Amino acid sequence: MNSPSPTTPNPLRYFMLDMPAGDFDFTPAADIAAAVASGRSTALRVVEATLARIRERDPVLNSFTAVTEQRALRRAEAVDATRARGELVGPLAGVPFAVKNLFDIAGLSTLAGSKINRELPPATRDAALIERLETAGAVLVGALNMGEYAYDFTGENIHDGASRNPHDHDRMSGGSSGGSGAAVGGGLVPLALGSDTNGSIRVPSSLCGIFGLKPTYGRLTRARTFPFVASLDHLGPFARTARDLALAYDAMQGFDADDPACADRPVDLVAPLLERGADGLRVAVATGYFKCNSGETCCAIDRVSAALSANRDIEIPQAERARAAAFIITASEGASLHLNRLRTRAEDYDPAVRDRLIAGAMTPASLVVKAQKFRRWYRDEVLKLFTEVDAILAPATPCTAPLIGQQTFMFGDTELPVRANLGLYTQPISFIGLPVVAVPVPLAPLPVGVQIIAAPWREDVALRLAHALETKGIVAAPPPSL
Amino acid sequence: MKRKPAQKPKPHKPVALDSLVAASARALALPLDPSWESGVKFNLQLILRHAALVDEFPLPDDAEPAPVFHA
Repeated sequence: MNSPSPTTPNPLRYFMLDMPAGDFDFTPAADIAAAVASGRSTALRVVEATLARIRERDPVLNSFTAVTEQRALRRAEAVDATRARGELVGPLAGVPFAVKNLFDIAGLSTLAGSKINRELPPATRDAALIERLETAGAVLVGALNMGEYAYDFTGENIHDGASRNPHDHDRMSGGSSGGSGAAVGGGLVPLALGSDTNGSIRVPSSLCGIFGLKPTYGRLTRARTFPFVASLDHLGPFARTARDLALAYDAMQGFDADDPACADRPVDLVAPLLERGADGLRVAVATGYFKCNSGETCCAIDRVSAALSANRDIEIPQAERARAAAFIITASEGASLHLNRLRTRAEDYDPAVRDRLIAGAMTPASLVVKAQKFRRWYRDEVLKLFTEVDAILAPATPCTAPLIGQQTFMFGDTELPVRANLGLYTQPISFIGLPVVAVPVPLAPLPVGVQIIAAPWREDVALRLAHALETKGIVAAPPPSL
Repeated sequence: MKRKPAQKPKPHKPVALDSLVAASARALALPLDPSWESGVKFNLQLILRHAALVDEFPLPDDAEPAPVFHA
């Protein structure tokens, strides 16, 4: 295994013990909203405490690229004023949240983790999902670090520096939504949004030890976000409880004509269904390609499968080929998006991203179309499995968080590059748009995630199982022990 | 679906890859600094290795690509 590159020592170790009590540190979004709605606290107090935490912790975690302090304070005051008038404040009243910096935020350039986009004019309107969360009473506090143009699984960024893992600051957050994972895992915010094209919600969720939801493809609008691979891009929430994921997800559902891929489906509220738990749900463990290959991932799968009485193994057919097809489509579609910039600004990309994109541009079209044809075949075959089971368990990542700068990791007896392979378990699933909740198994010294995979449009199944596991104490996102 | 055995694609030789990279860069008007070439070739080789896995899988002539256009 290659040696990791030297990393900056962390002069600031953890600080959370210095925070005053009663400021909602590591408090779930649901509890914050309940406190604000009942008048036990105010949105302004919650947001001020959040901004203080960001100032204190983010110099180490490097999860934010912009803090929208004045906007957040005004918005919090508006929430409090709404309540003072006796009006309903929404299910996420006063809940601070932040978004991966590929979401448009009015008044800011949408970086998408790049140097080039810093020259874009400021966005004139928020991304649709920001609008929906704020309609539910939540308060945006800033934009989060990410891998350049989302072509990343590490959380490293050559322009903004790496997001750091809250459980070990010398380790990766995972990516590409690295800032989202670090900010939620480190307790800076209870809720964040990210994107997932091949695993970019599930990988940082796994490495940072938090919950992440990648909904069904087409479920949540992507309007006014910077794309990567149109036919694979999803958006979704990160949180420290399954209930918080469900509350945020419910607030963001609904058709939006501004996203051509957004499905015109009724809203299926999940939060009211959580207490149904695992009753009546048939759960299997993915084998073959998905068989765990490290002590940590096997331990995590064993704990989760035992708690859900998932005694049955199931083979997802041709998963390795599915991952390969996702790899080709990503390379080609991503390159197509960036073709003009590659012609004129190639030197302004992260070299690792640039070389992948240029190679993607050179991929023969006939092979890309074949991958899209295989995709439909694979989808039809995998959907047949959901006549036998309601959910399938698989590891979220092949290992716990690697060191920042680490180039390779051992996968069984095979040494694999980190950057391309942290998502090897996630890619075959997002390839056909299935909904997945990544649940955190709090192993020591580092957590690792398990994917709960459901049939299309059955986010309720995955979230119910996640909540049941949390109730049993099998999965959890406790504060880091640093 | 009845499948016909597919011809297994042959691995790309380094010389063929050099030619593909050079010709594609010209055709697409992409700059290719000599210091980037090894990285681009490494990634293209990786893509083509994945593509071979997909290419060898037999699909019927009427297989429809996943994204479907609606008028």
